[in-house]
Amino acid sequence: MAESSAAPVAAGGEGRRRSRAARSAAETSEEETAALGRRAVELSAFYQGKIETVPKVPVRSLRDFALWYTPGVAEVSRAIQADPDLSFDLTGRWNTVAIVTDGSRVLGLGDIGPRAALPVMEGKALLFKFLGGVDALPIPLQVSSPAQFIASVEAMAPAFGGINLEDIASPKCFGILEELQKRLPIPVWHDDQLGTAAATVAGLLNALELTRRSMREVRTVLLGAGAANLVTARLLLALGHDPHRLSLVDQKGILHAERDDVDELMVRNPWKYRAALRTNGGGRTGDLSAALEGADVLLAASTPRPDTIRAAQVRSMAPGPIVFALANPLPEIWPEAAKAAGAAVVATGRSDFPNQVNNSLIFPAVFRGILDARARTIPDEVVLAAARELARGAERKGLTAQHLLPTMEEPEVFPEIAAAVGDAAVRLGIARKRLTHDEFLDRARAMMGRSTRLVRALARARLTPPMPRGTARPGKESK
Amino acid sequence: MTASNEPSAHPSGNASSEGPSVPIHLRPARDGDVPALVPLLLRLKRLNEEFDPLLKVREDADEQARHLLHANLADPKAVVLAAEGVGADKDKVVGVVRAIVRERPFYVPEFEGVILDIYLLPLYRRRGVGEYLLREVSAALKAKGAGVVTAEFPSQNEIASRFYQKRGFRPITAIHARSL
Repeated sequence: MAESSAAPVAAGGEGRRRSRAARSAAETSEEETAALGRRAVELSAFYQGKIETVPKVPVRSLRDFALWYTPGVAEVSRAIQADPDLSFDLTGRWNTVAIVTDGSRVLGLGDIGPRAALPVMEGKALLFKFLGGVDALPIPLQVSSPAQFIASVEAMAPAFGGINLEDIASPKCFGILEELQKRLPIPVWHDDQLGTAAATVAGLLNALELTRRSMREVRTVLLGAGAANLVTARLLLALGHDPHRLSLVDQKGILHAERDDVDELMVRNPWKYRAALRTNGGGRTGDLSAALEGADVLLAASTPRPDTIRAAQVRSMAPGPIVFALANPLPEIWPEAAKAAGAAVVATGRSDFPNQVNNSLIFPAVFRGILDARARTIPDEVVLAAARELARGAERKGLTAQHLLPTMEEPEVFPEIAAAVGDAAVRLGIARKRLTHDEFLDRARAMMGRSTRLVRALARARLTPPMPRGTARPGKESK
Repeated sequence: MTASNEPSAHPSGNASSEGPSVPIHLRPARDGDVPALVPLLLRLKRLNEEFDPLLKVREDADEQARHLLHANLADPKAVVLAAEGVGADKDKVVGVVRAIVRERPFYVPEFEGVILDIYLLPLYRRRGVGEYLLREVSAALKAKGAGVVTAEFPSQNEIASRFYQKRGFRPITAIHARSL
């Protein structure tokens, strides 16, 4: 109590300083974003799409089509008809993923619809290919209900080795993922849930190690109870985190079993409802400040405003706390402000600060691994295997408060994650193809390396034309 | 009275759970329980609000609930049960059941036991608790002469609908509404 009388004064003074810094950083970031946006429109008009299909077999003359197409292909069809799993061996199914969205929550843009979501899905497909060697098709759907979405994806599943759901509003994304995982014989992944949560867990595992804390003993606050944090909470509990030391906090405060809106959640968002019951506020009620007092860890995936978390709130945490402010484009608290308030380790969602928690560290490698294993599904154990391997990747290079996770410039970690995922699929008995660790590793390296070489070769041969000079703020975009 | 009641003890199939394994203790409510029962009834009514704008809760709903509970407790045709926690939660009222026996002037059986409200705090749900409450209130209504037991809840409440249908209830009367 003595502290709380002093806190507002300190918070006020610092708040002013911080908001000045925040404003300038926000303005810079906004300008850069605007310049990048103009350039992206320009380049999109020039290239008219980011991916295309390319033959992967020789075509010496049109006569070869008697093999690739009719009549030869009929025998291939007959073989698959007799054994449907052969579709993974005799076609490109094993390496092909659908990126499916309804456009209901695209980036920070909201419900912009399937057509407007297409450029984002194309970008994702490019990441899939470039980082993971995965052939991914962007499929934005014009649908009017979760049931229609589910039926559409189920209907397209025969062509794919896996499904990547993308940018679907919460909470309907939970129901859609659950139902599709139940129905389909291939892995279904929702990156905004699983990818982000896995990267967060990886960062946290290393942050715990760095600050000599144990998962079983820490008190953790998750700010934001959307797609990512509800899954992060589930994964932490699976890793042995005490549910009664874990508080989920949203705009209405700490989520607990007797909160006024808990029955409404039962009807509208059963996933959040179950989290409310399971954690029961981590034994606390009240607002974010009440949750943070004495907490070891804060994992924020909430509002992109740098005053969402105040310095005084970080100061009220246990000594040397772990603070992840993952909102994009603006973190909930600026890293320097969190550090000044005593945070031992800080991570954000941005690449211009140390410790970027980024789902691109996870999804290409996860898909590489599950596709190589021809996995039937993707349970949380596989997600955790990926998270652990990502964490180990940073350890191998030396774990510091500035190097909590590998960056995108450390691609050697990706095949390792893919192999860990493949191993987990074999161990769990969900792999159609049971390779050894080294086989998974070699395969992942080959597939990922081939993509890089392919992109370079196409550019060298001028089949991919070089980027035209920019007219929109020339030079700005090359940062 | 509007149809506005449902069992929040939404069950997850542990139909075999008997009384003793249930983490609550059920007893007839007393006048002294009313202050603890009112917020539970209001939680239920606010949940009902989710299902239809015509179930919007009145400003004075808490006062109404208080009066109604006192009236029910004095009414030999009404059943009001209080669920208490056990162990550390002993003495904490965690649930309420409110029901009444009504005469059916045109039909047989002549008396109908109507379950008006069942509410349990979320942490005390499942594990067969809802089932147990239903069994107990049905027995109490039968003892007061009811030959049929009915339950009223918002039409859109699918959780309640599934709960009762799983236990042999079927819809027999529909109440349709429109604003005037």
